[in-house]
Amino acid sequence: MSSPALLRHSEDTMASAMADVPPAPAATQSTPPSFGTLALRWFRLNQGTLRATAIGIASLIAFLLVWHLLTTYRVVFFVRFTNVPSPLAVYASFTKAIHDPKFLMHILLSCRRILMGFSLAALIGVPLGLIMGRFKLIHEIVFPVAEVLRPIPAIAWVPMAIMLWPTNEQSIVYITFLGSFFPILVNTLHGMSLVDPVLVRAAQCLGARERSIFREVYFPASLPHIFTGLTVGMGVAWVSLIAAEMISGQYGIGYFTWEAYSLVQYADIALGMIAIGVLGLGSSLLIRGVGQLVMPWRVK
Amino acid sequence: MVRHLPTLSIAMSVTSLALLLAQPATAETVTIGIGTQDTTTNTVTAGVVIRQLKLLEKYLPTSGKYANIKFEMEWQNFTSGPPVTNAMMANKLQIGMMGDYPLIVNGFTFESNPESKSRLIGIAAYSLSGSGNGMVVHKESAYYDLADLKGKLVSVPFGSAAHGMVLKALQDRGYPADFFQLVSQSPEVGSTNLQEKKIDAHADFVPFAELLPFRGFARKIFDGVETNLPTFHGIVVRTDFAEKYPEVVVAYMKAIIAANQWLRDNPKLAAEKIQEWTGISKEVVYIFLGPSGNMTTDPSIKPALIDAATTDVKVLQNLGRMKEFDPKKWVDDSYIRKAYAEMKLDYDARLASTKNYEIAGEDSFCKKPIGDPRKAGEVWVDDAGILPFASAACTLGAYADFKAKGKKINVTYVFDTARGIKLFADQAFFAVGGDEIAPFLLKKDAEAHAAKISGKVLGFEDAVKSAVTGGKT
Repeated sequence: MSSPALLRHSEDTMASAMADVPPAPAATQSTPPSFGTLALRWFRLNQGTLRATAIGIASLIAFLLVWHLLTTYRVVFFVRFTNVPSPLAVYASFTKAIHDPKFLMHILLSCRRILMGFSLAALIGVPLGLIMGRFKLIHEIVFPVAEVLRPIPAIAWVPMAIMLWPTNEQSIVYITFLGSFFPILVNTLHGMSLVDPVLVRAAQCLGARERSIFREVYFPASLPHIFTGLTVGMGVAWVSLIAAEMISGQYGIGYFTWEAYSLVQYADIALGMIAIGVLGLGSSLLIRGVGQLVMPWRVK
Repeated sequence: MVRHLPTLSIAMSVTSLALLLAQPATAETVTIGIGTQDTTTNTVTAGVVIRQLKLLEKYLPTSGKYANIKFEMEWQNFTSGPPVTNAMMANKLQIGMMGDYPLIVNGFTFESNPESKSRLIGIAAYSLSGSGNGMVVHKESAYYDLADLKGKLVSVPFGSAAHGMVLKALQDRGYPADFFQLVSQSPEVGSTNLQEKKIDAHADFVPFAELLPFRGFARKIFDGVETNLPTFHGIVVRTDFAEKYPEVVVAYMKAIIAANQWLRDNPKLAAEKIQEWTGISKEVVYIFLGPSGNMTTDPSIKPALIDAATTDVKVLQNLGRMKEFDPKKWVDDSYIRKAYAEMKLDYDARLASTKNYEIAGEDSFCKKPIGDPRKAGEVWVDDAGILPFASAACTLGAYADFKAKGKKINVTYVFDTARGIKLFADQAFFAVGGDEIAPFLLKKDAEAHAAKISGKVLGFEDAVKSAVTGGKT
């Protein structure tokens, strides 16, 4: 899937797919189509997407409904919903929060921290992974250290992060950085290890230098894995947010959730959780979108 | 023979199976989940001491309806109150202990629990003057008073007793709410931040305001006594559990009374044991729980504490953190009263008294009995124990004497002249003039007193020197 041969192939299918589409408008150019046929055509073209969206919305509504019923009837069936806040209670704290400029501040600051931590992780993790995948010695030096540091949970880093960095903002960014760094590094390495050696040899036979091999063979071939790493890394960055923002002491959606926990406000805790979930979803979609742009040869 | 063996073994396994099946029918196991805060030193007599000395086992009922019940204790340790409340809400814990603000949040949170409410059934320890909570700054900083912290970054765990103290202190002094830049940090995070000078001050509950100076990087600049608002740690119970097993709750109260007695019988041993069990330095434990300490361990629910809780509710309401809540309706002293009655002790006498146990005995250095315990001092000599001295001057003199004899000294305690709270002598400021040596927590108090007696303010080492040369009374 990641070999250039396949890439060529998928480009071909892409091209032929595109070739399929244009004739349709061309054929109807003589008689302008009515609004109805246009709508119908649009519907046919986007049928798959529409279907997915509709099912997605229905499943989210079903989730909310089940949540609502479980909490209203305080269901106890091994799992206990006695004190879990209902969606309406969470909605009430949401409407309260949305009128509070502080809540927007929480979200903006968290997004900034994630963006900085994640960008740094991508800027360091991807090149490092590529180099480690290419040069054995560097791999042998860096890999053991990375493997030891990788399983350490974000919350355990809190005291060290405070001591390591001069400002708290840096400590927070550092923890989100750590969260996304390792998935990016490991996936990039994995991508590098799957590059077909035949292609590399072929490139060498054709007189390609190291730099060109990197640019033309290794990098594009491992791109799909790099993007998997980026998506996972973004998720983990949000996961480590609460731990990171324990340091902040005043702003951030992770801090908001943590403070709600200190004051035992269940509805606010749920609101914080959902906000993190939604923001995480949004950022993952963003990365997937960028992935589509960078790798147009990939089939959806 | 060979053919008989299987039948025999089958018969045996059938009987053992029958026994296994029969067992649960005769003995029911009840799990009691108890949430403690081991590192919060003033809850130890309601938590870790009972666990380690197995005091609850001693008082648990065994007769009547309890003849066939086997109790299993599940102790869980937390560093702050909210996780205890959370586990109590989930019915993983039935009994929990925490400081005044988390307690109120506990009671309020349970109001919306359809299965059970929570009731305040006893007190672990209290300070009527509000000591225990305090604010510390980095030792090398130039801050000596709250006023010096204008516009600075101050952290405190929000929703804790220390948070209440900070808000009250601002109010008392007429400072606006944004006098400092107040942020929320847990003790672990705040301590590290202070050590790294990332924040200018950290306010916290027991034992951090004493522990951090003792660790050597912080200085206390504000003590809760200045707010004069009582602070306490108490015990809450789920009502569904208490109604089903009232005798167990009474037994728990008896265990607290016994734990308090154990502490007072031998405070030095208790401090050493508590260090072993909780990791908090014995010198810090002793400043809170020793004689004339900054905390009084007393399980009775004093009206003054409930009044303080009512004030705390207002603070939380003003922050928009709480709706209506009446602490008076939340208190249930029936269990503690019953425990006192069954142990043939007088609850009402205990309730009326706010006396702590005090330093007493003979001063072996100045050769006189201890008069006023809150003007006295103590020296903890490593191999000779904790020795009382009649005055600050005698204490410092004795300290120099022990040093000269080459004894190893763990710690020296003196009392704040104005406020009567116990201090680490090496952290105190001494107003020295004539033959008077008066220790103070705050530099400004010491300076004011020094001006009055036309003396000067000295640090610990210089005060010791002056005690040796002329201050001996």
